[in-house]
Amino acid sequence: MPLWIGPMRKHLNGQKELTHHNEIIRIDAGKYVYIPLMNGFSTNIEVLVSEGDHVKVGTLVAKRNDNLIVPMFSSVSGVVTGKQTMMHAILKPIEHLVIENDGKYEFEQSFAPIDYKTASREELVDFMMNAGIVGCGGAGFPSYIKYKNPTGIHTLIINAVECEPYITADFRHIELSMDDLILGTKAMLKMSKAKKALIAIKSNKKELIGKLKTALVSSPEIQVAEVPDVYPMGWERTLVFELTKKRYDRLPSEVGVVCNNATTAIAFAEAMRLGKPLVEKIITISGDGIKNPANVSVPVGVKTSEIVEKLGGYTADEVLVIAGGPMMGKTIPNDSFVVTPYGNAVTILKTQKINDVACLRCGRCNDTCPAGLLPVRINNAEKANDIDSLEKLRSDQCIECGLCSYVCPSKLDVTEGVRRAKRLMQLRAKK
Amino acid sequence: MKFTFRVSPNYRDSISTGRIMRELTIGLLVIYAFALYYYFTSYGTSYGIHALLLMVTSLSVAFATEIAWALFLKKDLSSFLKGSYPWVTAIILTLMVPITMTYYALGIGTLFALLFGKLLFGGFGQNVFNPAAVGRAIILASFAGAAAADITTSATPTTAMEQVGWMITKPELATKFLAQFGGLGNLLVGFYPGSLGETSKILILVVGVVLALRHVLDWKVPAIYIGSVFVFASMIAVIKGMGAWYPIFHLATGGLMFGAFFMATDPVTNPTSASGRVIFALGCAILTVLIRVKANLPEGVLYSILIMNMLTPMIERLTEGWQIKLTKKYTIAFVSLFLVGSLSIGATTFAMSYKAPAEEAKPTVTLGVPVLIFGDDTALNPAEVTSSVAAGDVVTITVSSKGYAVLESEYDENPKPNSLIVKIDTVKKTIVSVAFSEFHDTKNIGDKTNSATYLDQFTGLSITDPTASVDTVTGATFSSVSVARAVRAAIDSVVGK
Repeated sequence: MPLWIGPMRKHLNGQKELTHHNEIIRIDAGKYVYIPLMNGFSTNIEVLVSEGDHVKVGTLVAKRNDNLIVPMFSSVSGVVTGKQTMMHAILKPIEHLVIENDGKYEFEQSFAPIDYKTASREELVDFMMNAGIVGCGGAGFPSYIKYKNPTGIHTLIINAVECEPYITADFRHIELSMDDLILGTKAMLKMSKAKKALIAIKSNKKELIGKLKTALVSSPEIQVAEVPDVYPMGWERTLVFELTKKRYDRLPSEVGVVCNNATTAIAFAEAMRLGKPLVEKIITISGDGIKNPANVSVPVGVKTSEIVEKLGGYTADEVLVIAGGPMMGKTIPNDSFVVTPYGNAVTILKTQKINDVACLRCGRCNDTCPAGLLPVRINNAEKANDIDSLEKLRSDQCIECGLCSYVCPSKLDVTEGVRRAKRLMQLRAKK
Repeated sequence: MKFTFRVSPNYRDSISTGRIMRELTIGLLVIYAFALYYYFTSYGTSYGIHALLLMVTSLSVAFATEIAWALFLKKDLSSFLKGSYPWVTAIILTLMVPITMTYYALGIGTLFALLFGKLLFGGFGQNVFNPAAVGRAIILASFAGAAAADITTSATPTTAMEQVGWMITKPELATKFLAQFGGLGNLLVGFYPGSLGETSKILILVVGVVLALRHVLDWKVPAIYIGSVFVFASMIAVIKGMGAWYPIFHLATGGLMFGAFFMATDPVTNPTSASGRVIFALGCAILTVLIRVKANLPEGVLYSILIMNMLTPMIERLTEGWQIKLTKKYTIAFVSLFLVGSLSIGATTFAMSYKAPAEEAKPTVTLGVPVLIFGDDTALNPAEVTSSVAAGDVVTITVSSKGYAVLESEYDENPKPNSLIVKIDTVKKTIVSVAFSEFHDTKNIGDKTNSATYLDQFTGLSITDPTASVDTVTGATFSSVSVARAVRAAIDSVVGK
């Protein structure tokens, strides 16, 4: 109820016009590509090739092998030259597999294509697992898990919201691959056993909505759901609440919903049609710190610095290089991190000084927190080292969407305070 | 090439605390401009300038206090002032005092507001009580007499209502009561003397709504506060059989609109959660109505806000947790508080009764030094006869006599002489009666001469007796003498015939 709780969301200036209509620029890999040996928070990755091995585009090179299975593929053809520890987009140094690019882009099918109409549900789930389809919304969570044992699912939500400012990669990708989006959605619908699918798009994208509706005329089980242009509309919980008016505790399946990103559906469709895994990504490089903001199509494992160079370089001597959008993306103190299958943007901003003043207790952070938390109270409890209060305030429920810092009129780093609170709670839990 | 590191998010809203305070200041100044317009046009330049200087006083004291504090703590002056916003407190406080406020009292009030209301708590963002409300309470408690009595000192609508026990059941009495303030409509528009910025409810509403739309203040607080006062007042009206004017009167008088929009919304001193602010506003409404109708104070807004400020930490505790899991608790808390409020206000109505307004107390008149009607004093500034009508033995003479207001011009911008009617029996050679037909002299002082005690002394005096004298009213010698001059002029006009 809006009287007891604030709106739990906020319209942001999307800055989408910077890259909305530009051509997608194809960028080739340089001499080397670096395949990050990580998935989720797991670095338990088995490398399946050795130094000197020749690989092609689509060759299986590594596999996550713990409780989840995520295969990883080469994005270029060439020779494996070894492993190297580099900064990753999650702001942690991790191992990367280095492949020397021969520039030929020879392709080999990683797996046989599949027709979702004839294949069984279980075959499709296995296919999805072996194709290495991960959530393209940023988390990289393997998608097949969601479809393994779907019970009581009535709606599949395809998330095409893209609520982070500056990013238009999903939007452009959908425009280009509308047929694949529908194909992937239909297959996922079969896998989830749901009756209908909703493709959630921001209501201000009228043109795309129109095109999509036309394309969906013969598919009544798939509908376009227009959602308001607010942040973080693309967060699963916010989106599910918007479309079903229900809240869940841990997983959307509790309220009969499965969510997947639109570009995940497209990647899945491409894998089914061509036997080709996700080795090339459309990502947005935008912000006031880059000379020519654009959407680029680039092989996985290419360093950000190479892309920046092709787009005319930086506009200032001091910039923030952010892996992702400016709200949730982490600032990386160099530009040598690489394109991943689950990242969709690099935002480059001129460094600007932020002058903070005292908290005036206005409570905007509390009113806009999409998780329904009280960030200012969490910050105060964190400063007082009051872990009991932090637990009562459910600091663990924070997803670090950044909205509390965004709305703070005193320009305080509220989100960072909540992060510290979460670490305090984790430390105590470990004891 | 330098890669800066900063924690996410790296995207910020354009709204800043500085902008919020700037827009709030502009909103308050619009209301102040209305007050200036009203006093300049309705009461003349001297009042307008007084209103201006009150603001100057408060602002100067506010800045002086903060500068002294910053110097004392060896802080960087400009950045301290920029992050402390002393002018907002000064402006709000000035808008809450009546035009008759003395500079001294307002200055002391401002000093206390900032020093004890804010700085000693740790400065902006740390204070428990609304600083301006603290200042106003200090002035109310310590300088009750600081508002000098003068022409603007008619009873305010709230004091007048307090005198009749906050209820008037007879419609004709209600109409008469409202008429003395120009009706409900004028109460809403605000062309009557009161606290500088609190009278024009419509203007406050407009400014408040604009500020709410611009996210300078949270609409929920004034909406719940004013809405609940309306509901509770309607309840009283229904129980006591009063008309719809009664809840509207509650909204249209006193500091409710101003307090609800500009003081209860102070983010520093109200709860940080939406649910908390809603409960806070409801609490303010209950206390305001209770204080108004039953406590020994004409107005309850100021104290209700201060009391709720004090309860804010408790409300914060109550609403603490994971908000989406607590909506039930919030609903229960709100509904229970509403019921408690309704019950206590409902119960209070049984103890309410109409008190007939006491007859306006006449100032006590004591007589002192005598004045000779044909003496030296009356020879100065002679009065002028403006008309003379004879009817039988008695001549009725109208005389214009310069009173205190004219002779001591500081009192009024456009002073007018008094006009008296003197009746003289030309056969018996005595004065029949002396009465004022127009009185323009000082209220509460000069008007003591307009009393039987003084004027009856003239009756029966011989117009031919050179030693005839009356005793002047103590404290109003000037006006007393001016009456004697009028009588002398009247006699002269008769004798001269």
